[in-house]
Amino acid sequence: MSELVLHDDELDEDCYRVRLFLSLLGLQARRVAVDVVPGGQQDGPAFRVISPAGMLPVLHIDGQAVCGAEAALLALAHGRPAWLPEGRAEFAQVAHWLQFAGGPLRAAARMRRACLFEGAGDAQSDRRRAAVAALRIVEDHLAHRRLEGGCWVVGEGPTVGDIALFPAAALCRDWGEEHAAYPALRRWVRAVRALPGFVTMPGIPDYG
Amino acid sequence: MGMSRDGGWYPLVLSADLEPCTVVGSVVHGRELAVWRDGQGQAHVWDDRCPHRGMRLSLGFVREGALACLYHGWRFGADGRCVHIPAHPDLSPPGTIRAAPLRVAEGHGLVWASVQDAGPLPGDEAAKETWLPVRSLRIEAPWDDVARAIGMPDGHRAGVLDRDVEGRVLAALLPVGAGACMLHVQAAAPAEVERLHDLADWAQDVRARAEERAGQVFLAGSVA
Repeated sequence: MSELVLHDDELDEDCYRVRLFLSLLGLQARRVAVDVVPGGQQDGPAFRVISPAGMLPVLHIDGQAVCGAEAALLALAHGRPAWLPEGRAEFAQVAHWLQFAGGPLRAAARMRRACLFEGAGDAQSDRRRAAVAALRIVEDHLAHRRLEGGCWVVGEGPTVGDIALFPAAALCRDWGEEHAAYPALRRWVRAVRALPGFVTMPGIPDYG
Repeated sequence: MGMSRDGGWYPLVLSADLEPCTVVGSVVHGRELAVWRDGQGQAHVWDDRCPHRGMRLSLGFVREGALACLYHGWRFGADGRCVHIPAHPDLSPPGTIRAAPLRVAEGHGLVWASVQDAGPLPGDEAAKETWLPVRSLRIEAPWDDVARAIGMPDGHRAGVLDRDVEGRVLAALLPVGAGACMLHVQAAAPAEVERLHDLADWAQDVRARAEERAGQVFLAGSVA
């Protein structure tokens, strides 16, 4: 594998997904910082040459620029069946949760961004409800998984599905959702934290 | 605080959801609590406020049998007394620096705390069974509305239910605030996995109906 390069924003949870996965895989990437807040560099012409839609992060791998967290996770997981199962049924489940992370669960990332950078309060709103509803879908799934002895989103071990979903659960306190309401998420967050190579980002406590 | 026939005892979390050496927050009628379990398996419930700077202790972590605050790392032992201050490692902290413990009981698969004068732990009927944890979930509706909807014995926060579902269920409600509660669900042993799944689905259905009555609808994907 040629040198990995990650165009990265320390405070962005999509970038964190990829940093976390790189670390769990024991891979190093040269990081190029993108100043999103307050710089807005993701919308500047220089970055748009690399990522035409302004998506973060961008992972350079094998001479390709891969834009967006789910795509970068898939590119890194390719050929690693422990992280991206090869059997159709489990592959389909991982695909389902990647789609969910890039779809309805975006509401949680938007709520976090609104609270951290745009002064949104903790008043009830349609977008807050949509974010809570998305978190609940993960909570309900993990509560059911637990009843059959499962700890992970799909199958018997962690997959890119877990990595894609993790930041929304670990960072929900940033927008005022307490972990007390989500016992299944809490247990799973502890399991992810215990993986060898786990790293934190601002907002996810490092207990030292 | 509404009186209840359960005395002052409140069901905070399922015992299975409080693993050794972990801490979680809980709220009883707006009073914020830190719930933690030490390495010996003993559960503790304190007000969720570090005596040092008021930081929430439920954001902290358990180290060497003590609950550590995330802010400055002050550690508090099982009796609530401060046992370690990292910035002054050689200091023996005075006994006046202490967290505020509540009375705790563990029974019927739940961790209970008393926030007022407490009689015996509720649930004589529950004591006849062994209970398997199903799940806890938060409901954005008043606890007493949920209690009525599931057929909880009048005036109780916890009780054995025979209706709505096959077999016996131990349901317990924690009033979080005026318009929110936690519902804890357990199944009488023995129970097949399928039955546990059915009960988890039932709890989600209880949540959906209660929130609809309360005018609180949570719909994923509804906001672009």
